[in-house]
Amino acid sequence: MNKKLFFILAITLLNSCHKGEDINPTFYECNFNFADSSYANPNNNKYRSLINDMTSSGVVGVTMSVYHPQTGIWIGASGKADLYNDIDMKSCNISRVGSTVKMFTATTILKLAEEGKLSLDDKISSYLQGDVIDKIENANKATIRQLLQHSSGIYNYIQNLKFQTASLNDFIREWKPEDLLKYAYNQKSYFQPGEDVRYSNTGYIMLGMLIEKIEGKPFYKVFEDKIFSPLGLTMTKFAAEDHIPSGTVRGYIDMYSNLQVVESTYFSGWDYYTADGGLISNPYDMNVFFRALMSGQIINSNSLAEMLTWKNEKYPDPDFFPISYGLGIFKIQTEKGIAFMHSGDAVGYYANMLYFPSDSTTIVYAVNSNYGKIDQFVSTKVAIEKIISEIK
Amino acid sequence: MKILLIILTFITPTVVFGQGKAIPINVSIFNESSAIPFTRFVTTPIHPGLQLGTEFNYKVKEHSRLFQTANISYFFHNYLAQGIGLNTELGYEYRLKFGLAFEGLLGLGYMHTFATTKEFIFTNGLYEKKADRGNARLYPSFSIDIGYYLKKSETNSPKIFLRYQSWAEYPYSPDFIPVMTHINLHVGTKFCINTKAK
Repeated sequence: MNKKLFFILAITLLNSCHKGEDINPTFYECNFNFADSSYANPNNNKYRSLINDMTSSGVVGVTMSVYHPQTGIWIGASGKADLYNDIDMKSCNISRVGSTVKMFTATTILKLAEEGKLSLDDKISSYLQGDVIDKIENANKATIRQLLQHSSGIYNYIQNLKFQTASLNDFIREWKPEDLLKYAYNQKSYFQPGEDVRYSNTGYIMLGMLIEKIEGKPFYKVFEDKIFSPLGLTMTKFAAEDHIPSGTVRGYIDMYSNLQVVESTYFSGWDYYTADGGLISNPYDMNVFFRALMSGQIINSNSLAEMLTWKNEKYPDPDFFPISYGLGIFKIQTEKGIAFMHSGDAVGYYANMLYFPSDSTTIVYAVNSNYGKIDQFVSTKVAIEKIISEIK
Repeated sequence: MKILLIILTFITPTVVFGQGKAIPINVSIFNESSAIPFTRFVTTPIHPGLQLGTEFNYKVKEHSRLFQTANISYFFHNYLAQGIGLNTELGYEYRLKFGLAFEGLLGLGYMHTFATTKEFIFTNGLYEKKADRGNARLYPSFSIDIGYYLKKSETNSPKIFLRYQSWAEYPYSPDFIPVMTHINLHVGTKFCINTKAK
């Protein structure tokens, strides 16, 4: 009887692995209107060496764009877009870029303020009602500005252990905003609004709801109208419209910190529909967006000044740069000077965009792998300093 | 192959121990879940599991007993991991006259988990498809259950039970999530084989 049981268990173990998905290489083709002169860029070898170094360390694939006023824009890629089908990463490939969307959310809110449709110092409760206001501590007092600046003190639903285990329990669940907000219901706020700053995804879900309330359509449609289309960001999409649009590279996670990765492309359902994540883009489009924003092409100089009004955190993370919080944007002091930035994680993906106001150098990179040892090469302070020092 | 040897080593003493008298066998199917213990009861989606075990008594009184279990279990968590575990528990049971019984069990075990999706291993600067060697874990557990003895006057009566098992997986994801908590909701039965020593 025992032998039979062991035989059944052994067969079960051998046969219960998801084999992998056969994907035609044409899925990853991406041609966009851009006269690519990256090979002629005087820094081409230096930049290419940097991204090759990342993939030879254990990052599955990376795409990067670098803009410098003297040399223009460079784009490049290294590693794999798809390990199972052995597809190389291309510089135009798109991936999930997580919380970098918060800069798009903030920009849209500032545009709405310019249009006279809201005031940054209005309370969010002037626009939203019901459980979102009644059950989330501080929501009845916080202003739109405080939500944008992470100074509302509102509890971050992602920190709720019940949410973390629930998302691990059902990796491919598609969470709706109201499902996520429930994990912030009746949770103690971090501080009184305005007292300090602390990152809160909850606030950005509420800001997405605010955009929808004012414009009467999904917030990502407003992104398209006010940002994507005017700037010609043809490779930028929102996951709610198409979870895994053609060209999306596979995501991978180093769950056990041993550079043994598994695919996680379908695991990011918790930010498909919310304004705190869910953006899909590539470093070229994100570079265009960041420079356009900083040069006043999207919002006017007054709005930009509001966005770049900083509030310092009282208790900086000792393992990261001390961060000053603007409206949907951060300021850090690097070895090469002040940088404005926003990064973003999704399950299996990480992206980071940096802008140096001293000379407009703009660096954006996106990788299709994270967690474990891989984070040491892409998202830690040491990794970001290394990337900056190689480029600037 | 190594795993099979470990399993055989673990099970053999329990079979020998029971020769010539009633050997209690516990069989249960369960739903595994990543969850904070005692915050959820039934969870979806179902992650099926099977547990097979035996037990022996340390001390038996009219209504209660102190006992030790030895179990082998397997669960399949779609998209995350499948695990095969070996554990032992110290248990206390209180049995009422009409057959209802309550148990509390404190356990410790070893688990080997395998990815349920294709794993790629970084070797010599490249990711390659290689056989998954799996990951070793410790898993302490605490369970409570309610059961019912079908033949209430017999010591070795068959029993059916519902067990709520909370357990922790360590290490889980080093540098990211050091410990993960789980719950297993078991529905099972206990019966005896070789009843000469009734």
